[in-house]
Amino acid sequence: MLSAALVLMVVVPAFGAVVAGALKGDGPRWALSVGVAALVVLIGIYAALAAPGYRYHAAVGTLPWLDAMLDGPVFGVMLDPLAAVMLLVATVIGLFTVLYSTHYLREKNREHATGHEGQARYYFWLLLFLASMVGVAVSPNFLQLLIFWELTTLCSWALISFYQDERSLRSGFKALLMTQAGGAFFLVAVLILFVSVGSVEFTALARLPDGLRLWVFILLMIAAWAKAAQVPFHTWLPDAMAAPTPISAYLHAAAMVKAGVYLMARSVSAGWAVPPAGAIALGVMALATMFIALSYYFVQDDLKRLLAYSTIAHLGYVLLGVALGGLGSIIAFRGGVLHIVCHGFSKATLFFCAGALAYVTGTRSIAALGGLARSMPLTATAFFVGVLAVAGVPPFACFWSKFMILAGAIELRGGIGPVLVVLVLVESLVSFAWMLYVGQKVFLGPVTRLAEVHSDPPPAMGAVLLLLVLACLLAPAIGIPLVEMIGR
Amino acid sequence: MSGDILVTVGLALLNVAVALLLAPLYEGIMRKLRAALHSRIGPPITQPFLDLAKLLGKQDLRAVPGKLYAAAPALTLGSVLTLALLVPMGTRPPLGGAGDIIVLLYVAAISAVLLMLTAFAASGPYGAVGGSREMMILLSVEPVLAVTLVVGALKSGRLATLGILDWQVENGPTMSMAIAGIAFFLALQAQAGKLPFDVAEADQEIMGGPLIEQSGPRLALFRWALWSKQLVFAILLVELFLPWPRFGVFPADLVLTLLKALVVLVLVAVVDVVNPRLRIDQTMGYFTRVAFSSLAALAFAVIGM
Amino acid sequence: MSTLGLLGLGVSLWLAGALASLLAGHRRAASGWLSVAFLVCGGLLLAAVVVRTFTAGPSPEAVLLRVGAIDADLVVRVDYLSALFLAITSFIAVLTALFSVEYMSRYRHDSVAKYFPLLLVLFVSIAGVVTTADFLSFLVCWELMTVASFFLVIFERESREGMRAGLKYFVVNQAATLGMLAGGLVLWSRVDSFHFLALRDAFGALLGGQPALAHLVIFLFFLAFATKAGVLPMGSWLPDAYPAAPSGATAAFGGTMTKLGIYGLLRVFLEIVPLSPATRAWGLVVALAGVGSLFVGTLTALKQDDVKRLMSFHVIGQVGYMFLGIGMGLFLLARSPMLGLLGLLAGVFHMLNHSLYKSCLFLGAGAVYYRAGSRSLSEVGGLGRYMPVTALCAGTAALAIAGVPPLNGFASKWMIYATAVKAGEQVPWLVLLAIVAIFISLVTLASFIKYLAGAFMGSRTTEEPVREVPAAMLVPQVALALTCVVFGLVPLMPLRYVHAAVTGLLPEAGLPDLAAALGDGPGLQMAVGMPDVAVWAPLPVAAALVVLGLFSYYVIQRAGGATVRDVPAWTCGEEEESTAAHYPASSFYVPFKHAFRGIYPQVRVTPPPLPVWLRRVFDVDRWLHSPTVRMVGRGASGVSRTHVGIPQVYLLWIVLGAVAVVAILLGLIG
Repeated sequence: MLSAALVLMVVVPAFGAVVAGALKGDGPRWALSVGVAALVVLIGIYAALAAPGYRYHAAVGTLPWLDAMLDGPVFGVMLDPLAAVMLLVATVIGLFTVLYSTHYLREKNREHATGHEGQARYYFWLLLFLASMVGVAVSPNFLQLLIFWELTTLCSWALISFYQDERSLRSGFKALLMTQAGGAFFLVAVLILFVSVGSVEFTALARLPDGLRLWVFILLMIAAWAKAAQVPFHTWLPDAMAAPTPISAYLHAAAMVKAGVYLMARSVSAGWAVPPAGAIALGVMALATMFIALSYYFVQDDLKRLLAYSTIAHLGYVLLGVALGGLGSIIAFRGGVLHIVCHGFSKATLFFCAGALAYVTGTRSIAALGGLARSMPLTATAFFVGVLAVAGVPPFACFWSKFMILAGAIELRGGIGPVLVVLVLVESLVSFAWMLYVGQKVFLGPVTRLAEVHSDPPPAMGAVLLLLVLACLLAPAIGIPLVEMIGR
Repeated sequence: MSGDILVTVGLALLNVAVALLLAPLYEGIMRKLRAALHSRIGPPITQPFLDLAKLLGKQDLRAVPGKLYAAAPALTLGSVLTLALLVPMGTRPPLGGAGDIIVLLYVAAISAVLLMLTAFAASGPYGAVGGSREMMILLSVEPVLAVTLVVGALKSGRLATLGILDWQVENGPTMSMAIAGIAFFLALQAQAGKLPFDVAEADQEIMGGPLIEQSGPRLALFRWALWSKQLVFAILLVELFLPWPRFGVFPADLVLTLLKALVVLVLVAVVDVVNPRLRIDQTMGYFTRVAFSSLAALAFAVIGM
Repeated sequence: MSTLGLLGLGVSLWLAGALASLLAGHRRAASGWLSVAFLVCGGLLLAAVVVRTFTAGPSPEAVLLRVGAIDADLVVRVDYLSALFLAITSFIAVLTALFSVEYMSRYRHDSVAKYFPLLLVLFVSIAGVVTTADFLSFLVCWELMTVASFFLVIFERESREGMRAGLKYFVVNQAATLGMLAGGLVLWSRVDSFHFLALRDAFGALLGGQPALAHLVIFLFFLAFATKAGVLPMGSWLPDAYPAAPSGATAAFGGTMTKLGIYGLLRVFLEIVPLSPATRAWGLVVALAGVGSLFVGTLTALKQDDVKRLMSFHVIGQVGYMFLGIGMGLFLLARSPMLGLLGLLAGVFHMLNHSLYKSCLFLGAGAVYYRAGSRSLSEVGGLGRYMPVTALCAGTAALAIAGVPPLNGFASKWMIYATAVKAGEQVPWLVLLAIVAIFISLVTLASFIKYLAGAFMGSRTTEEPVREVPAAMLVPQVALALTCVVFGLVPLMPLRYVHAAVTGLLPEAGLPDLAAALGDGPGLQMAVGMPDVAVWAPLPVAAALVVLGLFSYYVIQRAGGATVRDVPAWTCGEEEESTAAHYPASSFYVPFKHAFRGIYPQVRVTPPPLPVWLRRVFDVDRWLHSPTVRMVGRGASGVSRTHVGIPQVYLLWIVLGAVAVVAILLGLIG
């Protein structure tokens, strides 16, 4: 029953994607898309409640010609706390995104008026992405993960290029190239795994000999860096902001980029046999990413690009937590995983706010906006809550995850812990100060010309913002019990 | 117990009487002396009493309506008389059980506060200038007083006035107390509003400053309060810093104290005559130096001298 | 119902009030009155908690929530110190909210939905801070407090100063809090628990084993609390942030929030850090920080023209007194429990008094702004005639903060001075601190006389008529002013609870009881080594003042039977408009202010720009990805050049290919 539910979660949106693409009227398409996304969430809730002890693993299908060579099923479903975390992010924010999009992609959008013609394409790819993201989350082995992983890349390419102007085509192509190149490393890693231990299970990583394990881990790490836009592959993400804002929120903040960190979390937690050198490399690069991304904050004028750099930095946080987990701190690992949820919701809030601003004012330029809180109180509230949540100000979401990462860091022996804590706190403080400054610049102060006579965005978008504000507060309440179950 | 209270009330009445009745007399003597130094005949010694009597009967001109403004002169005099209750005059201070030197310092400030507030209440610029100067004088003088009194407290181990007095009588003169006494005397000059520190009133310059709006009974009360205050401070000076010889017989001690206070005030008057007025910034600079010098007394007290 | 149950209910009511006022946000009055109603109901329950704690002793601890992922319990309990702060918070909360109901109508264009709910959340978080018994929940409440107050600071969103102040406030406090977080984590990593008592063990071990680290952790805690309390230089956010918030909120900040810095200080230094040489050393630091702060803060206050900015600098100055008292207490505890206790009592009592008069002053400033529409002392004036009750309350509070007897500010200052002087026999430099404090107390007086003169006295600069503020704004001011007077007259009454709060933190230190330290009333008789070292009995002195004042008025002033006549102020016969001959508040004490110029330097922080070469290095696209893509592209076009469309050439390729394959195969076989 549970396996059927999990398969349904992949099949329903995939099927929905085809129907949504084929439908003629916009109204039915919106209704169908929202319905499909809601259905996925419902099945997800059922699955979450039905999963006994969150250790579920079932075979679904096989490939006859591969079956003999592998020790596990080629196609299967799996539900454990880590997968549940990914499902939570992918499905709930997916629903929000679909709901938001139904109002965002309209003629009235002052930034990018979208008529009837793009809609079919948009919802096809969006729902397909939802399906593939669920697929990533429930994959029980590297091979299946790779397949869905590449599917998400494909959807990302299509959606970034959605507006089909030169910039977005270019950005889509860039994103495709870079994540695809990363995917090639992933493929090589899976092949090595397959050749040397005859398995593509996650746990197979632990069975590799030490030297080879490090190399496979490095290959996976490169794939993850490319997907999660980590240094040195971070450059595609800010460019990908050419996508419609809901897509940026969903794919490039909450879900798709999280597939990269998810891969790392999987690799580390499957057997907890990461070579220390690999974990250290992961942690060091995560820190470097945080600071390099931070250095870009101050020169951004495009609100979405700023958020993109912040996303890069926060993915660094997750990877830092995972790396510390690889070095033996379970609390940091839990913190990192929790950060997937917390950051997903908080950053989605910020992106949706940026979308609402662009929808109403037609610009995303920080310099051109000012004093919007008076005409857009809801957006302003959501934005500030998002800033506080992302910055890790208690009691909002990211505080809990950052706190756990820090707590894990300080447990590390050998004097490196305090250094890590200081670095993370410095990054945290500076980015918080800047985000707060930007929030004040956009929403407070004198009203600028572009920001004159406007109101909050339409109800569907407003409702999503409201729900996300609540989520910023409540995400840890769901996330912490989930990550508690991650253990040795 | 009831006898004790009776004695206290009697002492209180005595202190109030001294502050109230002797103050104009001493002021009269000071005026006479000043005249003599100027080679003038000067007014009779009782002139201050006559001034007060005359002023009390004159019309009361008020620039500000309101009850608090009306009561301000009376409150000022009342606070000075309360101050008199905290000061020993020949024996224990009547309110000595209710306030120590810190209380004394602050109660002394009340009258200045009331005077300033009265000055600011009327919208005249001269009053405001005077009030502002009065505050600056207070700011520069009060630290000196604080240092000198604290020296006594450090020596005797008690902050109560009577404690310091008893210690002084018992132990005789010391270096630190001598320095403190001199500093206190210098501060007294400013407290009494005498030259060279009469910048706040400065009749020739800002026409009485805080007192410019006051006339009739109000002026009388303010004058009276200022005279009482200078007497009370003079008594405090002699009681805390020069309590010798002490007979232990109350009337004799009282008389001796009052005589010593007269000497102190005569000295004040002499300084007043032979000095020109300083500017307010000079006054502050002067008292800053005095305050830092009086820290020497503190240092001596710490090393037990 | 248990004490904690009452507490929970009371705080929940406040939270419910926040929600209710948010939902009623579009209706100004309804939102305000709803929050007052909920605050009163919740406040009564909290009052019951306070009463029960002081009568029946501290409540047991209860685990509110368990965060399994890090094995942390969120623990609540009410001890004497909590009860003391709960009492202040509830009292001030109700009064400031009541004041705000009418006051907020001043802000016609701003919704109260961003005021009352946040105010209530602020009070909830304060209640949370003082009742938690573990570091994690303390931190959460502490930050929630910062968040709520930040939004109150930026309430007037059009003003650039407000924005800048809000940003400064939040960032500075966030920095301090993150430091505290790091310190807490260091302790936690030793004992795997966030409970205060566990942290105490951690400190004990750390002080023995790694004293440098222990002192670093203490420093981080000290920094966080000093920042929140507004001790300079970390407190420089305060004079910017306080004036920016609406006055009701400012009163709440001054009366409750800033005081939590003191709370944290007491909690950490008396409960979490075990009594040790470290206590002594840090007592010295606290005292010196306090003296520095009171000196610079108060002298800077003297120069201010904006009423609220003036008062905000006085918050810094007054916090300096509290730090001085508490620091002295910590310093002296080991040497003499009696003097240590007196120092602590003085500091905490001053905190209590400051809550009262500073709230009253901020409310008074709000009332002035409400009617006169300006906070500049040079622009308002002569309001006392039209707003007598406000003027009277402001006057009382101003004299209280200046330490004029017999008001409450004097009682606590007296304790600080007396303790310092008495302790000076053993530690002479403490006397110097006392003298600085006495001097600064006069500066405080000067600056509040300037306030009273500038706002309420003299003549109005405009002819617009003004009226007294509505009753709902007067009641809180009167209540606070009256409490100031009562606490001044019977200081032993509040001191009893202060004493319970302080000694409750140090059960095993053997601190003397109150009667031994300060006599059994009604005045204060300090006894250190010998009886009656210092005395302050407000009732006889006040009685003497009243009696002698009445005597002077009725017997002397009326003796001549003088008639009264109202006249205009005399400007020596010159026929000047009163505005032309006006002596503005900014001109007060110019020579004195001149002597202390440059004491509060203004520093602008500008981040250093990122070097260009570093930016080039970070731009991976430029030197890695783009060249790679170009190279691949060039390679691809090279390959494409082989496709020329001529069959003969393709034939040649096939032949060459076959040769190559054969060669490779031969090579492999061979």
